[in-house]
Amino acid sequence: MEETKTQTGLDIEEIRRRLRGERGQRYWRSLEEVAETPEFQRFVEDEFPNRSSLLDLDRRSFLKVMGASLALAGLSGCRFLPKEKIVPYVKAPEEVVPGKPAYYATSMAFAGSSIGLIAKAVMGRPIKLEGNESHPWSLGASDVFSQAAILTLYDPDRGTTVKNRGFVATWEEFLAEARKVLPEAKGVRLVVGGPSSPTLERQLAEFQRAYPGTKIVRHEPVSRSHALEGARIALGREALPVYDFSKARVVLAVDADFLASMPGSVRYARDFAATRRVDEKNQAMSRLYCVEPAPTPTGILADHRLPVAQADLEGFLQHVAYLVGAASQPGAADLATEAFWNALAKDLRAAGPQAAVVVGDACTPVAHALAIAIQAKLGAAGSTVRYVAAPEARSDASLSELAGELESGAADVVLFLQTNPVYASGVGERLAQAVGRAKLSACFDLYETETAASCSWYLPAPHFLEDWSDARALDGTVSIVQPLVEPLHDTMSAHALLPALMNRPSEALAEVRRTWAVDDKTWRTWLNEGVASAPKAPEVPVPATVQTPAGRSRRSEGFEVAIRPDPSVWDGSFANNGWLQELPKPFTKLTWDNAVHLSFSAAERLKVTNGDVVRVTLGERSVEGPAWILPGLAKDTVLLHLGYGRRAGGRVAEGAGFDVYPLTGEASPWGGTGAKVEKTGKRAELASAQMHFSMEGRDIVRIGTMEEYRRNPSLKPEHAHGEPPRDLTLYDDGEKRREQEGVQQWGMAIDLNLCMGCNACVAACQAENNIPVVGKDQVRRGREMHWIRIDHYYGPRAGDGSGDNPTHVVQPINCMQCENAPCEPVCPVAATVHSHEGLNQMVYNRCVGTRYCSNNCPYKVRRFNYLNYQFAQRNFDRKEDIPLLKLLNNPDVTVRGRGVMEKCTYCVQRINAARIEAKKQGRPIRDGEVATACQQACPSQAILFGDVSDPNSRVSQIKRNQRNYSLLGELNTRPRTTYLARVTNPNPEIEA
Amino acid sequence: MARLFSPMANTIARASLVAAVALPVGAIVMGSVVSRSPANTNVGVAFDQPVPFSHAHHSIELGIDCRYCHTSVTKSSSAGIPSTETCMSCHSQIWTDSPLLEPVRQSWAEGKPIRFASTGEVGWNRVAKVPEFVYFNHSLHIARGIQCNECHGNIQEQHMTAKGKPFFMKWCLDCHRKPEKALYVDEQQPELTPQEKVFAFYRKIQEGAKLSARELALKKGRDYQPTAEELRKGQELVQKMDIKVKTLADCYICHR
Repeated sequence: MEETKTQTGLDIEEIRRRLRGERGQRYWRSLEEVAETPEFQRFVEDEFPNRSSLLDLDRRSFLKVMGASLALAGLSGCRFLPKEKIVPYVKAPEEVVPGKPAYYATSMAFAGSSIGLIAKAVMGRPIKLEGNESHPWSLGASDVFSQAAILTLYDPDRGTTVKNRGFVATWEEFLAEARKVLPEAKGVRLVVGGPSSPTLERQLAEFQRAYPGTKIVRHEPVSRSHALEGARIALGREALPVYDFSKARVVLAVDADFLASMPGSVRYARDFAATRRVDEKNQAMSRLYCVEPAPTPTGILADHRLPVAQADLEGFLQHVAYLVGAASQPGAADLATEAFWNALAKDLRAAGPQAAVVVGDACTPVAHALAIAIQAKLGAAGSTVRYVAAPEARSDASLSELAGELESGAADVVLFLQTNPVYASGVGERLAQAVGRAKLSACFDLYETETAASCSWYLPAPHFLEDWSDARALDGTVSIVQPLVEPLHDTMSAHALLPALMNRPSEALAEVRRTWAVDDKTWRTWLNEGVASAPKAPEVPVPATVQTPAGRSRRSEGFEVAIRPDPSVWDGSFANNGWLQELPKPFTKLTWDNAVHLSFSAAERLKVTNGDVVRVTLGERSVEGPAWILPGLAKDTVLLHLGYGRRAGGRVAEGAGFDVYPLTGEASPWGGTGAKVEKTGKRAELASAQMHFSMEGRDIVRIGTMEEYRRNPSLKPEHAHGEPPRDLTLYDDGEKRREQEGVQQWGMAIDLNLCMGCNACVAACQAENNIPVVGKDQVRRGREMHWIRIDHYYGPRAGDGSGDNPTHVVQPINCMQCENAPCEPVCPVAATVHSHEGLNQMVYNRCVGTRYCSNNCPYKVRRFNYLNYQFAQRNFDRKEDIPLLKLLNNPDVTVRGRGVMEKCTYCVQRINAARIEAKKQGRPIRDGEVATACQQACPSQAILFGDVSDPNSRVSQIKRNQRNYSLLGELNTRPRTTYLARVTNPNPEIEA
Repeated sequence: MARLFSPMANTIARASLVAAVALPVGAIVMGSVVSRSPANTNVGVAFDQPVPFSHAHHSIELGIDCRYCHTSVTKSSSAGIPSTETCMSCHSQIWTDSPLLEPVRQSWAEGKPIRFASTGEVGWNRVAKVPEFVYFNHSLHIARGIQCNECHGNIQEQHMTAKGKPFFMKWCLDCHRKPEKALYVDEQQPELTPQEKVFAFYRKIQEGAKLSARELALKKGRDYQPTAEELRKGQELVQKMDIKVKTLADCYICHR
């Protein structure tokens, strides 16, 4: 970690002063922008800084270079046609039509829930995952993790073979040894994750019967144990809330990111969005209160956002309960103003059964119990929320008990099934030592993880697209995990491994079918639908009055550490996924790293700035990481993200960020109070995309409150120019109109009212369009390749002069497909030209890489291949990695080479596929027949694509909404992508 | 003063002047001639194949439909190449001990794709290929009634398969700008759909039916200049099929 010139210090006092001096609506993207640091200026002046300049060349070298280039310019097109082979099938499989994709339903288990997916396979290789419309927890949408899962399938770093103490071994050798050791073992311990697969649960129970004395140890780093415990307090048994936000008028989210990261968020976002679509006729809009220690995507959409420390949340809820009459004791009334409390209580009481109180998994059990009590009192239980019985997941011992038993010799066989507690827990070090004492220790996982390194055996696990299994969603909906390919490596299914250890070899498919025991016809229906008709989880009744212990605040001196799963790599299990590593995180836009997030005031007090390495001490343990100022944090909260600092588990994962797990305890994985933060004097380089492709504070985001919207439905600021009239041109517009006559015209509308910046569109675009990963170093130079980015703006919040609690607006930006595209006239080789359907075409095979187009693009949406990124994906530069990664590519999209400009094409390959089918059937493309990848993935359906020449298409209807506006419309670029201004719905009774 | 230049010098000087002009021009002409010649385009050059498969024998002498082997030609972008099973559907009964068919039988017996007996190389040598950045769709062209021979030349006369046309972009655009040039109705059987017409053509050849001038040119794989009347009828077809000609030359129709 060395001092670098590019990272410049931030003068916080100066920033404060400037923010205070601002009047009216001013939106800013990063602190660097407010402070006008030299680094920010460089990114404003030059889209891709750090280039060497032609002027650096002397005359002689210039002539040499140019002479050679000119002489050889034409030759680059010369080559003899390469010879190619066509390899036919011996027996052609019936369902495979070369050139036509096949779609299969499957599902992905994740964080104690599951999401139904449709996998697209081309000639037998899966290349894209989409949400399954018939699955209630997807409804056709997806999230970043399910979008990126396909890359993990082809990850060259996955475990490929069984290993014994680091040496290549075979499954037979492992099974032989296990069968020898197991019957005479003193204590067998199976370490598994949270419950999800009913078949695995059945097999675990069978295993315990086959080897009595076996204990199951559960380990899920991001667990829902507090929610379960809260239900036990309030309802007498473990249960989980399932919300129906489509019925909610007032939502109180207490540290609950229910729109982006809580289990079920994909469905929740859809339901919630349904209550936020406003137009001239329908002006009823739900109201969202967010109370959270650290900003979340949900907080972006909040109408009222209150930063409250984690330790205060219980006291906060207690006071809410008191105000609505669900508790007799007042809580921490000093957390908000009188006006806020009154308005919140009034709103909740008025909404009654249409209110919802969502509590995050990091909140204490009592907080969860209080939420149940509040909702019971309001009558919301049974309306916006219902409680379902949690799946059976018995844990016989904790991790530290396991370590103790291994140390004492009470346990001598330990098998880790797809969990990685040596890394992902607070007792990792002790556990690693203890595992060494076992007679037989094995780790069954996708990667050779830290846990695998301390076990004597490593067993490669299959990816979920290679394996039969089953999964339960949040409400117990069962779906079958259907494989799409034969295992790429020498893996064995967990469902086959456990029977093999019990001496009754079996196959995964047979085991899954045994769990469900249905006839072939039903089974095929289940596979086809992607949802099983098996019973869901039973509901747990909520009594009218719920007794709970009083919640209280646990504030103490010093900083409070809030530990959360990372928005990109979660608990670290996705750490080797380059797509997720390079996904700019919400708010900070950091890539490839985690950081110690500090509030404005904390940074000011500690005199640290972005990139200063600080030491965070909680109790006796401490971690070191680079600081990053995150406006919106509660004052003394230090936000840390899990999932980084991996010591094993792949070339992408290793070395990125710092490990936060040492600060987690078994009792509380979510951090604690009384922490210390000190400056170390070191500096670190971080790669944040926040400053890249900035558009310098013009009329970019339009936002207003409901009141303002009623007064001025376009929400156009007074000073804004707006679009010039169409006839303001020296040229004849008639020709253009004639050219477009009778041809479908494509356009897009993005509703800023629904976008919370969850990144699903970015990941989906990357998967669909063969977008490469460039690596941290290239991101630092502003060379990330994402075709769609999510710009994040901070804005002023009434009553907050300090900048500690700004408002947020996010805006997805892809190529606007301008009708008067500035990029087109400047291309010397006509590599970017307009089509009759109104798309701005990018012809890769013509592009010579002058980059004039990107210079001339006011939206900065063009991306240039500075290097051969496609085949030198970060850390995957070995020759043998390439064939595996090639399998991932979408054959309908050209793989771009070095020196070529690229950009969003509105997924023209999807338009073409639909057009060809429509032409064959002699009809125009139907409305809704083409969905772009970003649109399909979007959980809140904020993105809509279609034919704008058809007045009845959905996109035309949406564009008629008065909130519709063109980004930088005053430039007369006539963008085909337009935005719908954001409307917030604050309670007029709250001043702040 | 001694002569500096010999009498030859004038000739050399003149020759150099001519060469200075002629050589670059010649090089450019040579380059363009070579690049358009079969040496580069492979038009008419038959490749070595694992089995000397004859389109002439199978499609005309035996009368097997194109779609028997190229199963996905009407459904997908790719025409499809027959599996060993397709070959064996007949060759398990006839020519069962022909040495030429040994690679097919071996593939069937081993369950591995066909390969060259001599070198062991797997698969057929590809004859007709568009570059990777071109996305061609067979099914749509067939649905419009574009004859196979329009691109594949006199394929039904070939004993060893060779490329019929050079696949230059200009050649593609010729049709995409003026689709009426290639669209026609078979006057003898006007009731056929465009797709049926494509394959009925070979039955006509097989039966020795009388061919129109256009069909004769197609049969021989020659370029054909339609008459004014034919162009007019082609225009009618463009209207009838609602082909938006102006969009056909948009870049992303073929490049994406």
